[in-house]
Amino acid sequence: MNGQGGRPAGAHDGGTGLGGLVVAEPCRLSFEGVTKRFGDVIAVDDLTLEVAAGESLVLLGPSGCGKSTALRIMAGLETPTAGVVCIGDRVVNDVDAKDRDVAMVFQSYALYPHLNVRRNIEFPLRSRHVPADERARLVAATARSLGLEALLDRKPAQLSGGQRQRVALARAIVRHPRAFLMDEPLSNLDARLRTEMRAELAELHRRLGVTVLYVTHDQVEAMTMGQRIAILRDGVLQQVDVPRTVHDRPANAFVAGFIGSPPMNILAGRVDTADGAAEVMVDGGSIPLGPAATAALRRRGLPDVTVGVRPEHLRADPAGTLKVTVALAEYLGHEQHLGCRLPGGGMLTVRLTGTRSALVLGDTVALAVEGDPHLFDPVDGTRIDV
Amino acid sequence: MSDADLAPGAAALGEMAAGRSKDAANGHRRMGRITREAAVGYLFVLPVMAVFAIFVFYPLLRTFWLGLFRVAPYPTIPSKFVGLSQYRNVLTSPDFLASLGRTGEFVLLTVPIGIVLGLALAVLADARIRGIRFFRTLYSSTVATSVAVVSVIFFTLLNPTVGLFSYWLGIKGGNGILQSNTWALPAVATVTVWQNIGFTFILMSAALQAIPEDLLEAARIDGAGGRSRFWRVTLPLLSPTVFFAAVVGIIASFEAFGQIDLLTQGGPDNHTNVLIYNLYTSFQNNDFGKASVLAAALFVILLAVTLVQFRFVERRVFYG
Repeated sequence: MNGQGGRPAGAHDGGTGLGGLVVAEPCRLSFEGVTKRFGDVIAVDDLTLEVAAGESLVLLGPSGCGKSTALRIMAGLETPTAGVVCIGDRVVNDVDAKDRDVAMVFQSYALYPHLNVRRNIEFPLRSRHVPADERARLVAATARSLGLEALLDRKPAQLSGGQRQRVALARAIVRHPRAFLMDEPLSNLDARLRTEMRAELAELHRRLGVTVLYVTHDQVEAMTMGQRIAILRDGVLQQVDVPRTVHDRPANAFVAGFIGSPPMNILAGRVDTADGAAEVMVDGGSIPLGPAATAALRRRGLPDVTVGVRPEHLRADPAGTLKVTVALAEYLGHEQHLGCRLPGGGMLTVRLTGTRSALVLGDTVALAVEGDPHLFDPVDGTRIDV
Repeated sequence: MSDADLAPGAAALGEMAAGRSKDAANGHRRMGRITREAAVGYLFVLPVMAVFAIFVFYPLLRTFWLGLFRVAPYPTIPSKFVGLSQYRNVLTSPDFLASLGRTGEFVLLTVPIGIVLGLALAVLADARIRGIRFFRTLYSSTVATSVAVVSVIFFTLLNPTVGLFSYWLGIKGGNGILQSNTWALPAVATVTVWQNIGFTFILMSAALQAIPEDLLEAARIDGAGGRSRFWRVTLPLLSPTVFFAAVVGIIASFEAFGQIDLLTQGGPDNHTNVLIYNLYTSFQNNDFGKASVLAAALFVILLAVTLVQFRFVERRVFYG
């Protein structure tokens, strides 16, 4: 059977042939009210989240936000303090990791250093007492699909980072698990290889149609790898949605600041609705609001508000309403980032695309905001819907 | 020859050829620096070399030399040069072969069991349970116990009249374990294993803790149960330590003396008269020639055993 252009991902008749690989029927993963405490520390706080069968969901958050703990709970390496963990329709709280039939790719790759690539890949098959000829066939097929054929007799120490990563993937794929768990699998690779592997992983997911729960702290990785993104902070789920929504309509100021590169500018503001059209007074000037935003803020009735403006929505404009001083300029070729100082000391990041701007350090410039800014509650950070 | 040895000559030649050019002068300075560094380096190792020379190399060579002389039974009569004949006589004597056999038995009784027990205790103590530190301390405590103390304790325990072992085993009167031709050597071996277990335990514990947790977790997710993880991941990664423990253990067993001297003095009927004890008694009897031959034999055997281990066993050992 040929892997290219075969059956659509997710088609199953007890296993889809794909380059000689058998793909198990993907299954859903779910956390229902899962909490994990380590002593006084709450690593995961009442997490309810479902990864649909065949979906690729990314758990995103800064380090220490509990995303790895959540993944390890799904893998069976940690026991939840409370809540229910399901793989498929089966509650797995009391099922040992070895019997869960999910594969995991570790940040460190966790290749067995004493075994060559072939033995590493067939390790899970040996655990399941797969007959030797079947093992050989599966290892060969997996190695072929990941371009590892020439490396089968090498030890992990003789491989480059990218090759190790591939072996770790092969070891996960070869057993056709019900789901893949990936714990920052690309973070040990250099930037270029990471971009390459990112595309490859996404392609692999598309081909195999498996369920993937993917943990990362890198929002670019999350945006590209995830069909949906779940953002965690201090163990609490902030938002789960498709990348576009997470980016365009962040549920709160934390998500807004975490997603996007360079990050969104967040400013404290005060609403002025004295005249007909409202504006938000911020350090350095004001940001005008459209009718919908004005109406929303009127309904709310409170003057204080947190304003979010993406760097790409700021542009230099003589008629602009924000007065800033250029303090920092980073030229990246395809775009330029300007760090602009506000009179009160804060910084605004401006992302300019296209031709290099004529602005130089120390220039005082007026900035205009394109469209409505994001508005958040200044107390709890939640989005004020417009 | 090292660069440092060549340096002054090369620099001098360079100088002559270039007629004291600037380059040559620079070269001279550079070479001079290297020579000075080498000299300082030799200066640092000199004390160690001196100690080794005086206390190891000289006695070693002297031992081989003394083996060529037959020592008379009375101190007043001078030794007589007999050449290699003494080596031949001693090394083919039934006495030597018997003690070599005892030594072999002793090594087989101590090393494998010691390693297995040490490893088993280390695996047990690796568990993350409350109070495990107490057991870790307990298991490693024999390291801090001298062989004399251990021997005295076991001597009392094994005493046929007042010893607890005889009581537990229901032996009344007659010969004790240490007086039994069959059980004396295993008893001494047991004491040795007990004495060494702390060291093996510490070695194995350290090695166990050095195994990345990731690997064992990966194996768990790959469907390996506890036993399977031990045989397929833990043990292979411990192999360098097991190998080290085997080499050190064999050497230690070849040289085990204190417990034999204190418990059995080579008896009963030479059943615990291992090579090192045979050497000691020869020495006691002023038979320095024979003692030297035995010492030389011990040296050669240990060297050979170690080389064989490195040559053949090490191939099966994985170093990370």
